[in-house]
Amino acid sequence: MAKETFTEVITVANSGEADVKKSRSALPWIADNGIFIFTALLLLFAALFVDGFASLVNITDVFHRAAPIGIVAAGMTFVVISGNYLDLSVVAQVATSAVIMLAVSNLYGVPIAMLAALGAAVLYALINGIAVGYFKANAVIVTLSTTYIGVGVLRFFSGGSIFFGPEDGPIRAFGTSKLGPIPYSAIVLIIVTLVLAFVLNRTNFGFVVRSFGSNESATRLGGVNTGLVIIGAFFVTALAAMVAGWVLAAFSNTAVSSMSTGYDFQALAAIIVGGTSVFGGKGSVLRTLLGVIFVSVLTNVLVLSNISFGYQQLALGVLIVVAVTVDALSRKAGKR
Amino acid sequence: MSQNQTIQIGQRETTLIGKLRLRLARRTEGRAVVLLAVVLIVVSFTEPLVFTAYQVSLGRIALIGLVALGLTAVILMGELDLSVASTLAVSGVVMALIPDVRLGVVVALGVGLLIGFINGFFVAVVGINSFIATLGMLFALRGLAFILSDEAPVRIADTDAGIAFGLAIIGPLTPRVLIFILAFILLQIFVSRVKAGREFFAVGGNRQAAYDAGIPVKRRIFTGFMISGFVASLAGAINTLERTAADPRAGLTVLLASFAAAIIGGNYLKGGRGSIVGTLIGATALGVLQVAFTLSGVQVPVQEIFIGLILLLAVTTDPASLRAVVGGIRSVFQGRLKFQS
Repeated sequence: MAKETFTEVITVANSGEADVKKSRSALPWIADNGIFIFTALLLLFAALFVDGFASLVNITDVFHRAAPIGIVAAGMTFVVISGNYLDLSVVAQVATSAVIMLAVSNLYGVPIAMLAALGAAVLYALINGIAVGYFKANAVIVTLSTTYIGVGVLRFFSGGSIFFGPEDGPIRAFGTSKLGPIPYSAIVLIIVTLVLAFVLNRTNFGFVVRSFGSNESATRLGGVNTGLVIIGAFFVTALAAMVAGWVLAAFSNTAVSSMSTGYDFQALAAIIVGGTSVFGGKGSVLRTLLGVIFVSVLTNVLVLSNISFGYQQLALGVLIVVAVTVDALSRKAGKR
Repeated sequence: MSQNQTIQIGQRETTLIGKLRLRLARRTEGRAVVLLAVVLIVVSFTEPLVFTAYQVSLGRIALIGLVALGLTAVILMGELDLSVASTLAVSGVVMALIPDVRLGVVVALGVGLLIGFINGFFVAVVGINSFIATLGMLFALRGLAFILSDEAPVRIADTDAGIAFGLAIIGPLTPRVLIFILAFILLQIFVSRVKAGREFFAVGGNRQAAYDAGIPVKRRIFTGFMISGFVASLAGAINTLERTAADPRAGLTVLLASFAAAIIGGNYLKGGRGSIVGTLIGATALGVLQVAFTLSGVQVPVQEIFIGLILLLAVTTDPASLRAVVGGIRSVFQGRLKFQS
């Protein structure tokens, strides 16, 4: 970050609450609170104008689809807050975990499958974390390469085939169970979010991750082993992606190497729309949950309105760019 | 560039070997040369067909190299353009949709320039980090390519033009390779001889200093992204012409290889150091490697693993990365020593 050191220091010095209050621009306010209003408006719009949104079946479906993305996003929030942009390799991680879960549990049972998936998650966290934390390599490029390596390894060993779980196994039972209209997967999402929110806000590790995101060199000078912090952030993401893979495998009872395509991008959209700053240091896991609701409902509305896949991608891409623009401009406005 | 000058002030080499060593120390292409040498040696033993079928190899090198050249212009300024893959796809689809081939190419190149302008706007004016801005553009533009093409490959109207384009015109060289060579020469001159191009290094090396020195930093960032967008759309148009159809999914496989080529070519991701020649060497190595893989029937997943590993290796064996690791290890031991005394 050599070239950005100047601006970083200035923004950090001025990013206090007092400065935001002083500015007359509405942007900082929108960046902080807009998601509440937009989510409420979107829900209202969907309920009133979109046919078939407000049905029990559809709501359950939204929960089912939101759960794995939300779990991934909750974990990835750590990487984003630590100032490392994002972890693209969650795509590979989720698919790996799902495939291992079904393929290994068919042979050796669920506990062994869980351990194997954990091993894969640790491996991902170590490779990403060491390359970014100790080699100071760019997180986007590192995780781009680990995505290709991971998906390649998965496709090589699975031969591109689809794995099915047994129809009456415990995985299937978990995937189909519901608590009222809420599927178990959504409950897992809520538990993961609450646990990660606690870790981020109330533990030493969470504090160090946030402080690393807002000022890297100050954190290092404070005597923190910053390399370990980054490995930790990637480890949280990998664990979340692992759980998301389990949930996804349980829900569909099938697993294939391409099943999580687009998760990187939807999770990033959810995190940024939720108000976590890509500049690092600012954000929360609970906001990411709100962003996940927004992105999932938006996708659902687009699907229900028979809008093609291309428009959905375009909409999410534009959403990311707009959300980051609001964030960047509100930072500028807050600085003045 | 400033670092190189400090070397010069400290010692003035007069002997031939000293001069040579100084000259070598200034270059950034070391890793690319090593990779190319390894690839060439291995390939010449295992798959000599790569050299016999050199037209295929040259075409592959040209495709990877063209995208990587545009990326280099952006990386020199410490930015990154992830959207090149989608720019390639969108401009290819746009070209295929227009019945007249010449008009199609012109419009496709215009689309590339426009995308570069939008990227430049978000990075230079709005102040978004280019990694995130161009990532958003990558997805948005891929959506656009799907919309324009109705999610299916689009055939070009004038198939004859496409076939004519694939024929060799000068010696064994096809127009694609000639365009690549031309783009390489132009960019090399621009970056090493033209003032605006030289200023790319200053913008990447120390942006604050570049501002203070009166360099129009924002305009340079716009220029860089527009070069990258233009070159990517050029690659898209060429690709569409050669295949006589535009695939909205195109570009994803090129993305990884061209990034690997630009980064292993010694272009420092934080900006300020690198060279077009390095990118050329990197693209040659990766192009030969890919063709060798395809010819010897290596499965696609294994190819992806290899290219991914090369990219990972490229980004972690950056001189600055190695220095960070060595510094980290050293500081651990220094800490111990201080503690003892």
